[in-house]
Amino acid sequence: MAITILPPAPAHENAKAYHGDSSDNDMDIDDLPSGHRSTTTNIITPGQTVTSDPQWMRGHGTFADTDSAAIRSTLAGTLQKTNKLLSIVPLRARYTPEIGDLVIGRIVEVQSRRWKVDVAAPLLANLLLSSINLPGGVLRKRTSVDELNIRAFFGEGELLVAEVQSLFQDGSASLHTRSLRYGKLRNGYFMSVAGMGGGAGVVRAKRQIFTVQTRSGGEVDVLLGVNGFIWIAKHVAEKEDVGINRMEEKVGESMYSSQNDEIEGGTRREVAAIAGGIRILVAGGVKVEEGTVRRAYEAGLELDERERDGEMMDSERGSAVVEMVLAGG
Amino acid sequence: MPLDTSTYALAHLRLDGRRWNELRRLHAQISTQAAADGSSYLEQGNTKVLCTVSGPQEQKGGRGGARDQGNEAKVDVEMNIAAFSGMDRKRRARSDKRVQEMQVTIASAFQSTLFTHLFPHSTITVTLHILSQDGSLLAACLNAATLALIDAGIPMSDYISSVTVASAPSSDQSLDEMDPLLDLNGLEEQELPFMTVGTCGRGPGGGEEKVMVLVMETKVQMARLEAMLSVGIDGCKQVRGILDGVVRSHGKRVLESKVS
Amino acid sequence: MPSEVTPSTNNHDFILTALRQNLRLDSRPLDTYRPIDLTFSSDPDTYGQTDVRIGKTRVLCNISCEVGAPYPDRKFDGVFTISCELGPMGSPAWEVGRQDQTEIILSRILEKTVRRSGALDTESLCIVAGQKCFHLRADIHILDHDGNVLDAACFALMAALLHFRRPDVSIEGEEVTVYSVREREPVKLTMTHHPFCITTSFYPSRQGSDDDLISVLDTTLQEEQCRTGSLTISLNRHGEVCNIAKYGGVGIEGLSVLTCVNASLEKAKMFDRLLKERLAEDEKARQAKIGAMGLELSAENERVMERPVG
Repeated sequence: MAITILPPAPAHENAKAYHGDSSDNDMDIDDLPSGHRSTTTNIITPGQTVTSDPQWMRGHGTFADTDSAAIRSTLAGTLQKTNKLLSIVPLRARYTPEIGDLVIGRIVEVQSRRWKVDVAAPLLANLLLSSINLPGGVLRKRTSVDELNIRAFFGEGELLVAEVQSLFQDGSASLHTRSLRYGKLRNGYFMSVAGMGGGAGVVRAKRQIFTVQTRSGGEVDVLLGVNGFIWIAKHVAEKEDVGINRMEEKVGESMYSSQNDEIEGGTRREVAAIAGGIRILVAGGVKVEEGTVRRAYEAGLELDERERDGEMMDSERGSAVVEMVLAGG
Repeated sequence: MPLDTSTYALAHLRLDGRRWNELRRLHAQISTQAAADGSSYLEQGNTKVLCTVSGPQEQKGGRGGARDQGNEAKVDVEMNIAAFSGMDRKRRARSDKRVQEMQVTIASAFQSTLFTHLFPHSTITVTLHILSQDGSLLAACLNAATLALIDAGIPMSDYISSVTVASAPSSDQSLDEMDPLLDLNGLEEQELPFMTVGTCGRGPGGGEEKVMVLVMETKVQMARLEAMLSVGIDGCKQVRGILDGVVRSHGKRVLESKVS
Repeated sequence: MPSEVTPSTNNHDFILTALRQNLRLDSRPLDTYRPIDLTFSSDPDTYGQTDVRIGKTRVLCNISCEVGAPYPDRKFDGVFTISCELGPMGSPAWEVGRQDQTEIILSRILEKTVRRSGALDTESLCIVAGQKCFHLRADIHILDHDGNVLDAACFALMAALLHFRRPDVSIEGEEVTVYSVREREPVKLTMTHHPFCITTSFYPSRQGSDDDLISVLDTTLQEEQCRTGSLTISLNRHGEVCNIAKYGGVGIEGLSVLTCVNASLEKAKMFDRLLKERLAEDEKARQAKIGAMGLELSAENERVMERPVG
C-alpha cells in the first residue's frame, strides 16, 4: 500500500487573521433598521470603531476617547440602533436585572429584615421582609416577631420566583413576591440556562409562566425566569372561586411549606421530557420561550412515536427537534 | 547548551524552522466550557491554556458580606499549573512567587482595560489552567484571558494581546548586532534574554498601541531594547488580528444558529 | 483587616493638579529623589548591615552567612536567599504572615534584579564542591513605608552586599578551616555588577485621557496611591538592563518606555556614585578606628593566646 504524506493542515480554519480594513470604519449605519430586533450579522469586536460621525449617541457597550468623537465598541456583539442611539448587544453576557423581570432565585443569605437572593446577576438581589405575602394573606406592618421568624418564610438554599421591583444605584435588584403567582417553589425541577443578554437562552416574552398539558403526566407548569433559571413543576390545581375575600385560603399555610406533594412517575417523566427539550433548544442556539418550549416538547413526542426503538443518537435527535421547532415557528 | 544560537546564525532558521519574525501556530476557541460565564482555550505552539471566567458576581461568604471593594469590580486571577505540563513532572505550589507574580500581572493588566466601574462591589474571577508549557506562558495566559473575558461579555476598551521577544546574536556575524526573535518556545526561552510584551492594541484607526504589560527578567544591553520592543509591539498587533478573527468567526457561528 | 488609608478625593485631585503644573508637595522637581541617606553599622566587626532612608521611607538590610551544604543540582554554587519582611511597623496595612501584593512584587523584583542577573557571583561562595558552601541570607526589613520601597530596598540590598565580608576559609586536603573575624581579615563578596531599581510612576496629564502621561520618579506614599501606573527598571551603570516590570496599570507608548530607560540610567549612575562614596567613607572610618585601637586590640589578642598555654 502506498503511503502518502499529507502536508500539515491547521485544525481549524477559523483563525484567519483579521486585517483592519477601512470598511469597518464607515459601516453603513444608516441602512440599519432601527429597533430592538435588528437582523444585522455584522459582528463588532472590542475596540473597533463603530462610527466617527458625531451625529450618533453612544449607548450600552460603547465608549469614546476623550479626544475624539469616534464611538468604539467595548463588547463583541452586534450593533443595535434605536433612533440616534447606538448600542452593542453582546453575543453573551451575564443577566442584568430590569424592573418588571420575572426571575427565579435562590436564597443565599438570611439577614434580619431581608434575604439575599442569587439571581445570576453581578450582584445579589434583595428581598425585603416587607415585600412578601404573609401566610393567611393578612396585610399588616411587619413586626419584630416576623423578623424573628424570618426563616419560617424562606431559608438558605430555597428557591423562589419573584419579580424585580426596583433597582438600586449599583444595579442590584430589589424583588417582591406580592402576587399569588410568586413565592416559594416546590414540586419540581430546577435548571439553569443562559439568561438574557444575547445568544440563546430565555428571552423576555409576554408570558413567562405557562402550563403544558402533557400526554401522560397531567398538567406541568413551566416558569421561565428571565435570568436563565427555569423551574418545571407539577401543576397544582387552583380553586376556581377565589375572590378577594377568600385570599386567606389561597395564601394558606402551604405557601411557605418546603414539603413536596406526592408526584407520580408519569409526571416526573414529563417534567424530564420538557427539561430535555429545553436543553436541546439551548444546545441548538434557539431562544427559550413559551412557543419554542411547547414545540420542542411536541417534537419530542412525535419523534418518540416515529422511533419506537429509540435508535436515534442524541445529537441526531437534537438536530431533528431543533429543525421541527424552527419549522413550526 | 548553546544549541539555538549556533543554528540560528548558520541558517537564519530557528530550532523549529521559523524565521525571526514568525509566530507559532496560534489556535483558539471560545465558549468551550458550558458552566462558566466565559471561557476559552488557547494554543500558542505547544503552550496550551484553558481559561474560564466567572462573574461579575458578588463574593459569597468570605468576609461576612464586607463590601470593602469600593466602586469597581475586582479582578481576581487564579493560576493552576498542571503537574504534567512541563518537561518534568513537578507540582507547583500555589505560593510559588513566580506564579503569584503572573497572577498579579494579569489581574492588574485587566483591571485597567476592563470597565470595572460598571460592576461595583463585585468580583470577576479569571481561572487559568495551564495544560502544557512551551514558552511564552505569560503571553498565552494574557491572550486566553482576553478571549474568555470577551466571551463573558465584560466590557473592555480593547483586546490585550501579548507575545514574547528575545534578542539573539545576529545571523550576520560580521556585525556586532542582535536580531530580535518573536514568540519564543521553551528552549529558546531558557537560553536567550527575552521579555514579554502585552499591548492594549487599538482597533483599526484607533491610534497607537499602548504597552500594558512589560516583563523582562534577563540581562540585556539597553541598546537592544528598542528593536525588541518594536518587534514585540508589532507581534502583538499580529496576535490581536488572530484573536479578533477567532472572536468574529465564533460570533458568526452564534448568529447563524440564533433564531429570532 | 487594617487597610491603607487612601487619600481623600480632594487630596487626590490636589496632588494631581499640582503634578500637572510640575509641582510636588515637597517642592522637588519631578525627576529628583528625596535625600538619600545610607548608614552602615557603626560596630567595626559588623559587616553587611545597612540602613537606607529615602525621605521618610526607611529600609534595613542585614546579610548573614553560615556554612552549609549546597543544593545537589547546583554543586558549584553557594546558596543565596533574599527574604523580605513587611511588618506592621512599616505600614498598618501589612500584617505579619499575610502575603500581600507589595511583598510578592518586592521579592520578585529583588530576586530578578540581584539573583537572576548574576550580580552576586555565587560560585565564589563554594568551599568544597558538592559538600560545603556558604549560605548567604539577606533579610530586608521595611521599617517605614513612605513610598518607593522598591528602589530603597534594592539600594539597601546592593549596599549591604558590597559592604559585607564573609569569613575567610582555607582548605588543606580534606580539612576546611573557617577563620573568625579576629583571626583573619574577612573577605569581600565577588560582585559582577551593581544593578539598581528605578521606579517611574505615571499620572494622567488630563482628566480621563491616557494619551499624555506625566512621569514622576521617587514617589511618596500619597503620590503612589494616586498613580495610574508604574514601571520598574533595574539596570547598572553600564546600561545593562536586568529587569523591566510593568504589571498592568495604564498603557504607555513604546517610545516612552525607552525614554524611561534612559532616564533611569542616569539615576542608576547616581546611585552607583553615591554607594561608592559612602563605602569609601565607611572604609576610611573603620581604618581610623582600627588604627586608634590597634595597640589595644593586639594586646587583647595576645592575652587570649597566652591563656591556654598557662
